[in-house]
Amino acid sequence: MFALTPYIVLFPLLGFLILGLVGSRIKSEKLVGTIGSGVVGISFLLAAAIFIQMLGLEEAKREHVVTLFPWISTFTGTATSLSVSVAYQVDQLSILMTLIVTGVGFLIHVYSIGYMHGDKGFWRFFSYMNLFIFAMLNLVLADNFVLLFLGWEGVGLCSYLLIGFWYEKKITGDAAKKAFVVNRIGDFGFLLGMFLIFQTFGSLNFDTVFGSASVMSVGNPALKWITLLLFVGAMGKSAQIPLYVWLPDAMAGPTPVSALIHAATMVTAGVYMMARCSILYALAPTTLLFVAVIGGVTAVFAATIGLVQNDIKKVLAYSTISQLGYMFLAMGVAAFSAGIFHLMTHAFFKALLFLGSGAVIHGMHDEQDIRNMGGLKKYLPVTYKTFLIGAIAISGIPPFAGFFSKDEILWKAFSSDYGSVFLWLLGVLGAGLTAFYMFRLVSLTFEGEERFAHDTHPHEAPKSMTIPLIILAGLSVIGGFVGIPRSLFGGNAIEHWLEPIFASANSKLMISEYKVVWSEYVLMTLSVGIALAGIYAARIIYLKRIEIASALVERYNKIYSLLLNKYYVDEAYDAAIVNPIVNASDKILWKGFDVRIVDGLVNGSASLVAITAQWARKVQSGVAQNYAIIFIGGIVFILTWLLVK
Amino acid sequence: MNLYYTDLITNSPLLTLTATGLLLILIESTKSTRTRLTFGVGIVGLAVTGVLACFHLTPEQSTFNGMMNAGGYGSYFTIIFVLAAILTFLLSRSYLERMGNNKGEYYILIVFATVGMMLMASANDLIIVFLGIELMSICLYILVGFFRVKDRSNESSIKYFLLGAFATGFLLYGIALVYGTSGSTNLTVIARSFPTVSSNTMFIIGVALMVVAFSFKVAAVPFHMWAPDVYEGAPTPVTGFMATGAKAAAFAVFVVVFDRTLGFSGGKLNLVIAMIAAASMILGNVLAIAQTNVKRMLAYSSIAHAGYMLSGVAAANTEGQSGVLFYLIAYLFMNLGAFGIVGIMEGEDEKNLSIDDYAGLSTQRPVLAMLMAVFMFSLAGVPPFGGFFGKYYVFLAAVKANMTWLAVVGVLTSLVSAYYYLRLVVLMYFRDGKADVPMKPSFAAMVAVCVSALLILQLGLYPSAVVQLVQSFH
Amino acid sequence: MTLESILFYILSAVAIASALLVVTRRSPVISALYLILNFFCLAGLYLTLHAQFIAVIQIIVYAGAIMVLFVFVIMLLNLGDERKLSEGMSYKKVIAVGLAAALLTELIYIIETSWIVLPASTVSQGTDIGTVEYIGLQLFTGYLFPFEVTSILLLVAIVGAIVLAKRKY
Repeated sequence: MFALTPYIVLFPLLGFLILGLVGSRIKSEKLVGTIGSGVVGISFLLAAAIFIQMLGLEEAKREHVVTLFPWISTFTGTATSLSVSVAYQVDQLSILMTLIVTGVGFLIHVYSIGYMHGDKGFWRFFSYMNLFIFAMLNLVLADNFVLLFLGWEGVGLCSYLLIGFWYEKKITGDAAKKAFVVNRIGDFGFLLGMFLIFQTFGSLNFDTVFGSASVMSVGNPALKWITLLLFVGAMGKSAQIPLYVWLPDAMAGPTPVSALIHAATMVTAGVYMMARCSILYALAPTTLLFVAVIGGVTAVFAATIGLVQNDIKKVLAYSTISQLGYMFLAMGVAAFSAGIFHLMTHAFFKALLFLGSGAVIHGMHDEQDIRNMGGLKKYLPVTYKTFLIGAIAISGIPPFAGFFSKDEILWKAFSSDYGSVFLWLLGVLGAGLTAFYMFRLVSLTFEGEERFAHDTHPHEAPKSMTIPLIILAGLSVIGGFVGIPRSLFGGNAIEHWLEPIFASANSKLMISEYKVVWSEYVLMTLSVGIALAGIYAARIIYLKRIEIASALVERYNKIYSLLLNKYYVDEAYDAAIVNPIVNASDKILWKGFDVRIVDGLVNGSASLVAITAQWARKVQSGVAQNYAIIFIGGIVFILTWLLVK
Repeated sequence: MNLYYTDLITNSPLLTLTATGLLLILIESTKSTRTRLTFGVGIVGLAVTGVLACFHLTPEQSTFNGMMNAGGYGSYFTIIFVLAAILTFLLSRSYLERMGNNKGEYYILIVFATVGMMLMASANDLIIVFLGIELMSICLYILVGFFRVKDRSNESSIKYFLLGAFATGFLLYGIALVYGTSGSTNLTVIARSFPTVSSNTMFIIGVALMVVAFSFKVAAVPFHMWAPDVYEGAPTPVTGFMATGAKAAAFAVFVVVFDRTLGFSGGKLNLVIAMIAAASMILGNVLAIAQTNVKRMLAYSSIAHAGYMLSGVAAANTEGQSGVLFYLIAYLFMNLGAFGIVGIMEGEDEKNLSIDDYAGLSTQRPVLAMLMAVFMFSLAGVPPFGGFFGKYYVFLAAVKANMTWLAVVGVLTSLVSAYYYLRLVVLMYFRDGKADVPMKPSFAAMVAVCVSALLILQLGLYPSAVVQLVQSFH
Repeated sequence: MTLESILFYILSAVAIASALLVVTRRSPVISALYLILNFFCLAGLYLTLHAQFIAVIQIIVYAGAIMVLFVFVIMLLNLGDERKLSEGMSYKKVIAVGLAAALLTELIYIIETSWIVLPASTVSQGTDIGTVEYIGLQLFTGYLFPFEVTSILLLVAIVGAIVLAKRKY
């Protein structure tokens, strides 16, 4: 079964090749859609088969590396030879990620058949999506940093292509560029981290690196820098402060893209990478603290912005950033499996929410402003119900999926040796805010009075779109049951499943044996209570007594506009970084350096080229005798040199 | 001495191709001007030769009384030459038809030029080296001037011939000095006496003169002067063939004589070659920027690439040899592919040869533009294309041989080269223009360029197979 | 000084002088005649090296057949006096002569300073190395392969000549 691993990766590639090469010739959308989703579906089935087999194996035999071929090899026999293979590593972590990527990916592909119907770039869309799945699978299944980085860059490229999918619009082009540039900053950090890894360990293979890391001592300075640099990469890819700014803009892309890439899979790559490198992070407590703080602050920060956004997708985008913050909070307090657990449940309900918003946008004929919606539950019953489930799940109400994963994180943030009350407070605050803005969204979109123009006739989405919604809703309900904590008499199956992956990291961290204590119940009740309070407040303000909302806006006008303008971060970046650079490049570089020196150089080099060309023309005269003279000149020079030396 | 049966078996690729050439002459002499038959039989003969060479990749053995080293290294190069010849065949047919000069002799000469190259790569005696070079060169002289009615073609031919004869003179002088000091023309014997004669100036000068002649054949500065003129004037597929096959052959013999037989390392001659390499990289890349004619640009680029590969030869270590061997096969595909597209684009009377004629090609001919972009990126050494690993290995070799300065020159000039390679890509993709092909590209030509592009990608994504193969030759 | 070396110097001097005259004479016919003289001197040099067969071939093939062809072609083309091609003194000529002189000096210097006499075992000795029998034996045994390659080379040259010269185009 393990031998099938390469085919998981190859099928999406095959789909990309077929659609990319002959897609424009295929007239039938149905066929394109079937190929596009089919290959991902096959990958999912293969991954599921391997997963089922792994369940039956004993723990030690679950890990498997399938080497396809050696890829880069410097010539053998040298001390620091870089050798990298194209090899896929199947273990408890990567198979879980593979299942999420292919499973959720498949549903989103199916959904796209309906959503992208009639688009002139239909085949192009599916070929990019397949390419994305291919790159993402390389990322999660890689057994070395180079292949992981290839996937990392690959998903970035696909994200760029898909954000800018409707390239006729300027806004999409700008958003794509922004995403590309910001990610480049992160990737640069990641690349530096990789160089440092190679320098420290002399290898880029996971086995070798982690093997030698496991005998190192805590607080190794090299590891501190490696982990920090890798985290810079994660900040870019997973949209954490301060590199999160690209993600809200990325919503300019088609909604299935937002669901797949900017909610469920790609943006969680940073979390996956940290989980994969858990042993490295375990040896760098400074980095862990840094990660936890960044994650916690991001969770609250993004949630506050989400409170006041009016674009349905923007709300979800900030929510995604906030939830990613939770995952990093988990990573930072060394609750690796809790982070992965939340990654999984988040993939379910956030994909669901995005696809639901897509159904709304689809039904409302490309309307995205929730101020122009309301009362849609009558017209889009399936969408409404599933969206509601998603909202409950993300708010953390038991027994929906989000409750278990979020509560696990909050508990670890409080109780872990690396956590603190402060981090827990951030988490709880974020949870309350999340519940509030989610139900603000639900109330304004689906309930209350109809605020859209009378000639808009909202309609329910076709089957190909609602069925994925229903499936994802089901997963959002039951997805958390794999991680019921022991305090609630569950087995926490997912933590147990992932245990071998994080075993060496946990032993370094000396995480003490888990015991059920009474405080856990108190905290659990508290967080659920806060979430319920958030929901209740939202429903009061946006359904019952709408005047409160406007009163609040008037009263706290400054705060409101601060939030509405996203803390002016984009403006601040413009003012602090972009404009100075533009100015500097304008005044100093352009007027000074460029005009004087570069232009001088360019004009100079242009004239240099002209002069060389002139000179070359003179020498390269076409007269064979001249060539012979130069020939002899060369020989005389060589012989003289040989004789004199 | 007995002519052993095994000699014939192990040299079967060479004999097959020679027989093919003779057969082609017979076909042509039957008066029926059926170039299609010549073309077909030629392709089949080349393919069979290539397959036979694949079977003789190991082991290497001395044949024909020590004159030839059959198998192994020679077979690897045979595969390169045969691929170059087949691709040239595919690219030539429609080109020659378009130019109104589709003659069977063309294919005969390419086959015999390939035979000459094979002799060069497998030679174990300076006499064979000489004969191989001459056999190849004579064919090329004629091929360059194949368009008899065109002045430029004629001029190139005679220029190449004159300077080629000049270089041959120095080659013979060098051989004479080496023979005079070591007492033999056989490379094995010379290698045996190398320790005693390596300090002798006359011997060194003899080798230096041979180096000069080889540098002429690979078009390295300052013996490169013929290349831009000849490349520009020759029929475009012939240019591609010269820039890849002939260059590979010259490098094959260069590596055989200099690295494999004599095993110079860290000596004065290594520095001489390093200087030639550096000069080629600098001059080739800088002058390529100033070119407006695509063929001339590629000619200067090929001078620069000769420089990159010479860094590997100068390093003279195992990495260098393997690097050159790897580089050559990548270079074969990317350069022949680029010339193939130039040939497809070229109109009658040397139209469509300016760089500006490629503006906006991506809208008219997206596939051609994409392929050309692949070749340009690979030539510029951008991963994940084959050209990147070629450069990587030869520069690595230079660093290992304590010639870091040479690798630095190489990397810096690579940056310079990106300017003119990418300029073409920018023109094709971001400039408006009405670039188009004069007539629909033939199926054969498209197969040739597509296969080249795929193999470039394959070499970039999975270089290990070839790397392991070339490492097995020493 | 032995007779051999006296002969060598005389023949070499005449060969160099006639070679120079070949390239400096304006009339092609006169150049061709000096070339014949040069070939004869070379044949003489072969003789001093005990290579009588090569010497005879040199006279029959070069001085005889090829030169006759040369002279015929010159006369058929009726080239006459080639004044047009000469350009008088130019800086190019000065550079060319200078470089050639430098190269010559260096080569002479090298051969003078690092002359080595090879051990006797490595070179074939005796007076029979120039005989037809010996050359034939070598050609058809040890050097059979280069011999065959040469025939291919000549064949290709013929093909090439036809490509370039055949009337119908």
